[in-house]
Amino acid sequence: MKHHPILVVEDDGLIRMDLADVLSDSGFDVVEAANADQALALLEAGIPVKAMLTDIDMPGSMNGIKLANLTASRWPECRIIVISGRFSPDQGSLPQGARFLSKPISERQLSVALFELGLSSTI
Amino acid sequence: MKDGKELTLETNPECRNLFDVYDWESSDIGPKDRWAVELRTLVNVMLGSLQPMLIVWGPSQTTLYNDGYAEMCGKRHPAAFGKPFGELWHDIWDQVEPIISAAYAGQGTSMDDIEFVMHRNGVPEETHFAFSYTPVRDPWGTVLGMFCACTEQTSTVAARNAERTLRERFEQVFELSPGGIAMLTGPNHVFEYANEVYYSMIGSGRDIIGKTVAEAVSEVVRQGYIDILDRVYQTGEPFVAKNLRIELNRGTAGEKQDRVIDLAYQPMVEDDGKVIGILVQAIDVTELRAEEEKQAQLSHELGHRLKNQLAMVQAIASQTLRNSTDLASARVRLSDRIAVLSAAHDTILLGGMGASTVTQLVDKMTSLHDDPANPRITVTGTNIKVGSRPSLSLSLILHELATNAVKYGALSLPDGRVNIQWKIAGPKSDRFELIWTETGGPPVQQPEGPGSGLRLINAGLNGTADSTVAFTFQPSGLTFRIDADLQGFQQEH
Repeated sequence: MKHHPILVVEDDGLIRMDLADVLSDSGFDVVEAANADQALALLEAGIPVKAMLTDIDMPGSMNGIKLANLTASRWPECRIIVISGRFSPDQGSLPQGARFLSKPISERQLSVALFELGLSSTI
Repeated sequence: MKDGKELTLETNPECRNLFDVYDWESSDIGPKDRWAVELRTLVNVMLGSLQPMLIVWGPSQTTLYNDGYAEMCGKRHPAAFGKPFGELWHDIWDQVEPIISAAYAGQGTSMDDIEFVMHRNGVPEETHFAFSYTPVRDPWGTVLGMFCACTEQTSTVAARNAERTLRERFEQVFELSPGGIAMLTGPNHVFEYANEVYYSMIGSGRDIIGKTVAEAVSEVVRQGYIDILDRVYQTGEPFVAKNLRIELNRGTAGEKQDRVIDLAYQPMVEDDGKVIGILVQAIDVTELRAEEEKQAQLSHELGHRLKNQLAMVQAIASQTLRNSTDLASARVRLSDRIAVLSAAHDTILLGGMGASTVTQLVDKMTSLHDDPANPRITVTGTNIKVGSRPSLSLSLILHELATNAVKYGALSLPDGRVNIQWKIAGPKSDRFELIWTETGGPPVQQPEGPGSGLRLINAGLNGTADSTVAFTFQPSGLTFRIDADLQGFQQEH
């Protein structure tokens, strides 16, 4: 479980790269996807993802909210954090237990969210 | 009399005196003692009255009057006294002659609202009178003359005029009003007035004046507006509402249109508190609300873009610090990178519609890193539009490539050269391709570790769905290639 990776889904390459670096620094293994379709392909390939960080607005067949809901129903063990600069999603549009963070996110906000989801033992 | 005013003695002193001193002997109606009893009676009545009165007597139409009437004659009095009526009103005889003749022919005439300018109070003053020309007959029916009592209407006319002027003024104001205004009277809400804006709001050319709202704008009945009007009329409470959706048959062919209006029904109340009608004020805000909604969306979109930009700057700052060996170089590289993003934004804004071109972005880079006196960067490419997100990425990539070339690559030696080529590529012409080729530099090897800036380049082109960036490190020099889907590369987000 410790080495099960976190999946980062973000179409902006720089932001994705930086999120991956921050998570790696905290000791997590990271896999990256540039959109929901790539993320689903990774999940369906059986990569044992323990958590997913996803942006909302991305090109492709679905946005991050739809991806989060789909992931929650098919891989209920996967913790979910949704990130967007656009809006706070409406109450109820995110799956139960998912966290929302508004862009730009600080490292501290991210580590608090990871702690609350039980993914890290310290803040 | 209560106030001691003795009418019989004091009324009409001037004309009373004229009657006394006038040379009746040589007049057409002869001396007073030979006057007919009818004439003597009427003269008595006339001299006893405060009302202006006039007698025109005998075939010669001799003019007799009291002080009240003398004022109407102005400067023609006292010369007109005892003379033929035609001499008094010679200048308007064409109007007076028919009615005096009618009176002599036995036919009375009433006239309302005859205007005189009088000098009763020392200044010219507009006055209004009602006249009634009455034939005076002897017991056998022969017309002897004409008697006329005049009633002053100046104050009533003035009040009526004031009311009319006030109303006209209101209507002028209403016509200039940017909103639609209509006046409804009575419990059935009959249109009495509507301004142009109101007409154009409900549909130009509809015939509404004199009709009830239910008849004239029948489509509002089922939308509940008559109920609201009834309530305002019955309770005297105004009704005010914004953003009401209403269907109006206002199309050019009378077809239904959905509009949004701000509406006020204001009861018109008389002094005794009774509601006599309703003033309708309505503004068609359909376009305004749509515009406001668009503005709200725009500012929402702006906020979104701003937060994404901040997230991008945050990532760049974080990556710069992460990959720098010391703070001093990190500071320089960070401010350079932010300056490049800022310049790319200028290009996007100048391009209009959020679009810049590859040529513009490449020119920005060469102006910063090449020497115009001794150019070492050659450029070949067509003017291809770039969407705003890929613009920012491409600017940053070109900047990092150039910085790397100056430090470690071809531009670090005097004879080194950089060639940039780009084009629309692919069998379906749906790809964008850019190739950066360095020659004449020091021998190249795969760079190791952080600090080269090449890591930022690997972040790729934002906004594209399917793109790759790839380096080839050949001994002759570095080659870099971008291959991106043209649609994503050019699309606005």
